[in-house]
Amino acid sequence: MYAVEVNNVNVYIEGHHILKDVSLKVPYNTVFVIMGPSGSGKTTLLRVINRLIDLVDGARVEGEVKVLGYNALRADPYELRRNIGMVFQVPNPFPHLTVYENVAIAARINGAAKTKSELYSIVKWALEKAMLWDEVKSRLNDYPHKLSGGQRQRLCLARALAMKPKLLLLDEPTANIDPINARKLEEAIVSLKDEVTILMVTHNPHQAARVADYVAVMYDGRIVELGPANHVFLRSSTEITQKLLRGEL
Amino acid sequence: MYNWRRIRDNLFKIIVLSLAVLALTPLFHLIVVVFINGLSTLLEAGWNFFVDLPPTPLSQRLGGVAPSLVGTFLLTLTSLPVTIALSLFTAILVTEFPKSRVSLVVDTIAKSLASVPTIAVSMVVFSLAITIVNSVPGIRVYLSPAGSALLGSFALIIVALPFSYTYFSTFLRSVPFTYKEAAYSLGMSRWAVIMRVVIQVVKKSMLVAVLMTMARIMGETAALLFTAGRYRSGVPTSILGPVDAIPLLIFDYILSPFEVWHRVAWGVTLILLLFYMLIFFIVKIGVKEVKLT
Amino acid sequence: MIKSKRDKLFFLSLTPFAISLLSILLLLVYVLFLKSIESLSAYGLALFTKTIWDPENGVYGVLGPILGTIVTSLISITTSLVFSIPLTITIAEYLKGYLKKIVSSIVEFMGGLPTIVYAVWASRYLVPLLKSYVMDPLHASLSFIPLFSCRPTTGYSIFAAGIALGISTVPYVTSIVLEAYENIPVIYREACYGVGSTKYEAIKILLSLSRPAIVAAVILGFARSLGETTIVVVTIGNSMTLTPCLFAPSYTVSALVASQFANAFLYRYAESVLYVSMLITTLFSILLSLYASKLIIEWRSRIVV
Repeated sequence: MYAVEVNNVNVYIEGHHILKDVSLKVPYNTVFVIMGPSGSGKTTLLRVINRLIDLVDGARVEGEVKVLGYNALRADPYELRRNIGMVFQVPNPFPHLTVYENVAIAARINGAAKTKSELYSIVKWALEKAMLWDEVKSRLNDYPHKLSGGQRQRLCLARALAMKPKLLLLDEPTANIDPINARKLEEAIVSLKDEVTILMVTHNPHQAARVADYVAVMYDGRIVELGPANHVFLRSSTEITQKLLRGEL
Repeated sequence: MYNWRRIRDNLFKIIVLSLAVLALTPLFHLIVVVFINGLSTLLEAGWNFFVDLPPTPLSQRLGGVAPSLVGTFLLTLTSLPVTIALSLFTAILVTEFPKSRVSLVVDTIAKSLASVPTIAVSMVVFSLAITIVNSVPGIRVYLSPAGSALLGSFALIIVALPFSYTYFSTFLRSVPFTYKEAAYSLGMSRWAVIMRVVIQVVKKSMLVAVLMTMARIMGETAALLFTAGRYRSGVPTSILGPVDAIPLLIFDYILSPFEVWHRVAWGVTLILLLFYMLIFFIVKIGVKEVKLT
Repeated sequence: MIKSKRDKLFFLSLTPFAISLLSILLLLVYVLFLKSIESLSAYGLALFTKTIWDPENGVYGVLGPILGTIVTSLISITTSLVFSIPLTITIAEYLKGYLKKIVSSIVEFMGGLPTIVYAVWASRYLVPLLKSYVMDPLHASLSFIPLFSCRPTTGYSIFAAGIALGISTVPYVTSIVLEAYENIPVIYREACYGVGSTKYEAIKILLSLSRPAIVAAVILGFARSLGETTIVVVTIGNSMTLTPCLFAPSYTVSALVASQFANAFLYRYAESVLYVSMLITTLFSILLSLYASKLIIEWRSRIVV
C-alpha cells in the first residue's frame, strides 16, 4: 500500500493545463523528492494532495488521488488536511502567536492534546524533532519576528509536526534560508522518516541527492522520470534529468 | 546651465512647500478658533453644560446640551453594532473570493452607496417611514415620522455601512495569503481560519475600523436632518421617540440669528472636536500593529 | 471552489449580508425614482429651465440650485487641486521619518473631521475673511468680469461655499493622489535619477505618470462635493438666484433640500421636485465615482511592473 497514489491527474488553472497526466506512488516512510525547474507544476501537485488547490480560483482537477487511504478528491478536505502537514516555501509562522502558541495551535486543532501538560509535551517533542528546541526553549513567549529566517522555517516544521501527521509535504523548504539552516532542516527531515512519510519538492538536485529515497522529475507539467534515487541520479537516460543534474535547467 | 536647473529646483521646492503649509493652515486656524470660542462658552457655563437643557433664544444663561449628548449616545449605541456586524461579515465574504466577480460587485455596490449624498438617505428613510406608517397600522409607535432615534439610526447605518465595509475589507485583504494557506493546511475550518488567524493578524486594525466608524456616525449631520426629530426640551428616554444629536444641534444653532445659540454651538463643537481628537489619538498612538515578518 | 458541504454552509451563512448592501442601494435609488415621477410628469423639463421656488402657487424651477451645485463643486476641486498636489509632493518627496508620519496623520485627521465642524468655522470665519480679502478687492477692481460683477453683501455666496468645500475636500483628494504616487514602482524613480534629473524634473515625470490617478481623484472629489450638505448650507446664502456672479448667494440641490424638505409635505409637488433634483445629483455622483474608480484600477494594473 502506498501513502500517496496519484493516477492520471490533470489540473487546469483558468484554462491553462498545469499538470498533464501525472501519476506516481509514494511508499510509506520514505523520502520522496519531486525535482524540476520552476513552472513545472511541482507546487501544484503538492497542493492537489492536501486539497489546498481548492483555494485557487478557477482550478479544475481530474483524475484519481489516494492519500493515506482517503479518496483525496472526494473526501472532506478539512479532515484530510488534519493528517497532512505542510511546510511552505516562504516561512509563514503566524505573526500574532508566540513561538509556543504557533506549535500549540496545530496540536489543539487535532484534539491531540487534552491537558496543558499534554500540550506542552507535544510542543516540546515537535520543536525537538525540528531541531529548534535548544534555540527557543528560553524564548517560547517571543513572537516569530524575533527569529531568523531559518529558525522560522524550523518553527513551521514543528508546527506541521505537532499535528502528528502521517504525511509531510515540503514545498522547497530551504529555498529561502541560509545554507547552515538548510542543512539543519535536511537533517531534521531525514530523521523523521521512520514516523512520517515525506514528500518534498526541490529544484536543487544536490539536496535531492542528499535526502531522497525516491525521485520524480517533472518538466512542463509532466513526470519525465520516476524511480529510486540512485537510479535517477547515476543511471538516468532521460535528457531532461541529465540537464537538470548538470544545472542547465 | 547647471546653476539654472538648480535654481528652478529650489524655486519649485519653495513654492510647493509654501502651498503645502498653506493647505494645512485652515486646519490649525480652525482648531484654534474652535478652542477659543468653545472654551469661552464652556468656562462660562461650567459643568452644567453637560447636564442642562438648551437655552431659549433670548436667554442670558448658556444652559446646556444634555439632550444632544444623550441623543448622540443613543444613536451611536443603536447604529454602531449593526453597522459593524453587517459590514464585517460582508467584508469576510469578499475576502473569501479574493479576485473574483463577487468582490468586484460588492466593492462597486459599496462605492455607489458611498457616493449617495447623505441628505438623500435622510429623505428616503423619512419618506419610507411615512409610507410604512400609513399602510401598516400600529407601527406608528415604532416608526414615528416625527423623528426618532430608531429612524435616525437606520439612516446612520446606511451612511456608515460603505465606510465601515471599506475599512474592514481593506484590512482583511491585507493579510498575506500565505497565512491563510498555512491555517488551512493545518486542517482549520473556514470560520476558524477567519476568526483565529485572519482577523487576529489584523486585530488592531479591526479596532481602528470600529473607532473610525464610530467617529463617522457621531459626526454625521445630514442623515439626521429629517429622521432624528430634534427633541431638545428634555433628555430622551427611549429610542422610539425623537432625539437631538450633537451635529444637529450645532447645525440648527449656528444657522440661527441668536447670539446665545451661537455660543452654545461653539461649546458643543469643541466637545465634538475633543472627542474626535481623542478617538484619533487612540487610533494613531494606542494601536500598534502586529509585526508581519 | 465550493467543494464540500461545510463550504456550502459557510457561504450560505454569509450571503444575506452581501445582499443587504445591495438591497439598501436599490431601495434608495428606487425611492428616489418613485418620488420624482410626480413632479416630472406634472412639470416635465420645465423644472430645469427656471429658477424659482414658489410652492404656494405651484411654480418650481431648479435651474439655479443645479447650476449652483455644479459651480460650487468646480470651485471646490480647483481649490483642492491647488493645495492637494503640493501637499502630496511635500509628503512624498520632501519629508521623511517622523515628520512625514506626523504630516500624514494631520492630513488623515483633517479627512475624518466631521463636516459640521468645518461648517461652523467656515460660516463664522472663512466667509468674512474671504469677503474682506478676496471678494471685495476682486469686485472693486475686476467688476467688469461677469463673475465678479455683483457686490458681495454678507459674503455668503457660491464662491465662499466653493472655497469652503474645497478646503474640506483637500484631505480626501490628497489621500488618493498620495497613495497612487507612492505606489509607483521604485524603478521609475530610479530611472529618473539614474539619468541625472533634479528633484523637480523627477517629480514632474512621476506626476505625469500619475496623471490618470490625479484625474480620478479630481472626479471623485467633484462627485463628493456634489452631495455635501452641511458646509454648503451655512456658506451659500440659501437664495433662489440664477446669476453668473460668483459672489451672489445661491443654492445647491442639497442646500435647497435642507432648507425646504421639512415643509415640503404641505404642498403638492414640492417634495417631488426636491426628489427629482436629488435624484439627478445622486445618479451623477454615483456614475462619476464609479468611473473614477475604474480609472484608478486600470491605471494601477498598467503601472505595476
